[in-house]
Amino acid sequence: MRFSDARVCLPNLIAEEIDREEDARALSVLARWMTGFSPIVAVDGLDGVLLETTGCDHLFGGETAMAARLAERLTRTGYGHRIALASTPGAAQALARYAAAEGAPQILPPGAERAGLEDLPTQALRLSPEAATLLRRFGLTRIGQLYGIDRKALARRFQSRRAADAVCLRLDQALGLRAEPMVPLCPPPEYQARQPCPEPLTQGAGLEAGLQQLTQALCADLSDKGVGARHFVFSAFHSDGQVSEASAQAARPVRTPEHILRLFREKIGTINPGFGVDLLLLEARRTGPMDVGSRPLSGDLAGSAMDEIALSALADRINARLGDGTVSLIRCEARYAPDKAERRMPFTGELAPAAPAMPAGEAPRPVRMLDWPERVDVIAQVPDGPPLSFIWRRVMRRVVRSDGPERISPEWWTHLPDTDAKPAPLPRTRDYYRIEDAEGRRYWVFREGLYDDGRGQMPEWFVQGLFG
Amino acid sequence: MDIATLKSKGLLRAVSAPPVAAVGFPFGLGTRGLHEVAEAAYGDRAAMTGFVLTAARPAQAGAWLWITQTKFAGDLGLVPEAALRQVTGGAPPPRLSLTARTLPDALWAVEEAVVSGAVSLVVAEIEAADFTATRRLTLASGRHGVPVVLLMPPTCEGATAAATRWRISPRPSAPNRYDPHAPGHPRWRAVLERCRTAPNAAGTVFDLEWNDETLSLGVVSGLAAGPAAPCPVAREAIARRKAS
Repeated sequence: MRFSDARVCLPNLIAEEIDREEDARALSVLARWMTGFSPIVAVDGLDGVLLETTGCDHLFGGETAMAARLAERLTRTGYGHRIALASTPGAAQALARYAAAEGAPQILPPGAERAGLEDLPTQALRLSPEAATLLRRFGLTRIGQLYGIDRKALARRFQSRRAADAVCLRLDQALGLRAEPMVPLCPPPEYQARQPCPEPLTQGAGLEAGLQQLTQALCADLSDKGVGARHFVFSAFHSDGQVSEASAQAARPVRTPEHILRLFREKIGTINPGFGVDLLLLEARRTGPMDVGSRPLSGDLAGSAMDEIALSALADRINARLGDGTVSLIRCEARYAPDKAERRMPFTGELAPAAPAMPAGEAPRPVRMLDWPERVDVIAQVPDGPPLSFIWRRVMRRVVRSDGPERISPEWWTHLPDTDAKPAPLPRTRDYYRIEDAEGRRYWVFREGLYDDGRGQMPEWFVQGLFG
Repeated sequence: MDIATLKSKGLLRAVSAPPVAAVGFPFGLGTRGLHEVAEAAYGDRAAMTGFVLTAARPAQAGAWLWITQTKFAGDLGLVPEAALRQVTGGAPPPRLSLTARTLPDALWAVEEAVVSGAVSLVVAEIEAADFTATRRLTLASGRHGVPVVLLMPPTCEGATAAATRWRISPRPSAPNRYDPHAPGHPRWRAVLERCRTAPNAAGTVFDLEWNDETLSLGVVSGLAAGPAAPCPVAREAIARRKAS
């Protein structure tokens, strides 16, 4: 029926466009929530979710009970659904789309695919529309009719070999003769602890108690295997089909329950139990071996406070509250330009290797380095000399003493002419001066470029940093 | 046999070293307890940073934590590793830095670092710290033995629980022996505004000079007077400021 026909029958009909994007998002939320039933879940097309239930059904009391539980939960959430369970993804999809009905889940015992799919239409095999039409024209409307046909004879009827192969492949996949790998929505975690709640939790305190138990269980598991993890994800599965997550990261592998709980303390408040939470899940990701050393007997024996473990624990706690990557480490790099010689890197649990030896005769470096050099207006006595006075941040500063220049050349090797791409123009040479104004404030200024370097524009002056 | 008897027989002794009396310069700055260092006027932050880098020498070797509120980091940037390397003579302590957006976040990070005991010095550049905050940090610092230095803007006034409050302004640098037109060793004027450990020293003015060859912080012999003596003028100024 076309829309105009429908509107004749029902004049107050409202039409809305399908919002595929929103549908896909809702489907992925639903699929995420399904991980409460099985760790391996995949989204199937625009309207399906595929669960690998191997080894999970006994947790719910068998396949029938699991299907019933799933149906009950979906009904409560308000989703229409058709559930089918079979040994192959192809058979399960065919059954769910063409045989099952709401409230009547189809469960096919293993090995019964041939008989179970016999009466389904051939479209159930996930064929392309052309292939399905062609099969219908041949009079092959049921899957059962395909069983007896010789494969070569079937292939001959199709124009292209590929279309014939697609039909055979789909048939074999549905019958379990060829493997069909699943691409899970999120990779199954190596280590996880789960806590189903007989009665939905509606209080934040319940979540915290649950998290505490899960952390204990997960850490016991991790220490049995001798590993730690750097990323923990706590998921709360709501009874209304939503999943809330909180994650905590550590700079180095950890498995101390107190520390992990401490990291989650700031985040668990963001989980609103809403209408109730009926499953809690804690996953450990990015696992790695832990270096376990004996601890010094007393704080005095520890001697150096270079306790990297304590430092990274501190960094974890600060990062958990102020945002990941807040705690950083300044690493030195072998660069000419002073503003590029140091880089801030997030602290990853390891302090910098021993600092490079101080180059002999290194000129004094400022105690504050501006993030970006700031342009200043300068009056200089001679073109190539230090400034006499300059205006920085709208204040005129009269220079009393100056030292320099310290000439820092650009790194020509980073601007080599390339074969195809035009290289960025080489930065100009910088002449750095250490100057002091009448009030005793000391600046590090530089003139970018020389007057006779033939680069066109006049050189410009910048403030790079301040001396103590 | 109780503990007192054991102690008297010399069988039991305190493992920790007895606390060093902080009576001389720098009155425990960077060694123990909480200290406030403030700019004398806007624009003296670099002088203040230089003073803290040169005067603060933590008793224990260990990592430093440098906390900066975002507004100060955006204004003047961070303290580069090269400066720390030059000030310590090529052996800088490992240093973690972090920028905190708000004052409560920064103060929380200071307390967290002190309580953890994983660092040997915490330096925090924050916009303000009231009496409650400084009292809290002083107690934490005393309990866990991690010194704290707060770098404050010139608006830092009023009651504080910190052990000392310094006010730093730059001075024209020392004459350069090799080039009269070049700046020499940096000099600062450090006014000890408050001092809990040595109340008599409050009001002392130190004219300091950092010698970057011998890595020593010395007192400049004044132009007219001898070595650093309490400056009566500054004392009066402080008394006036307190009264007003």
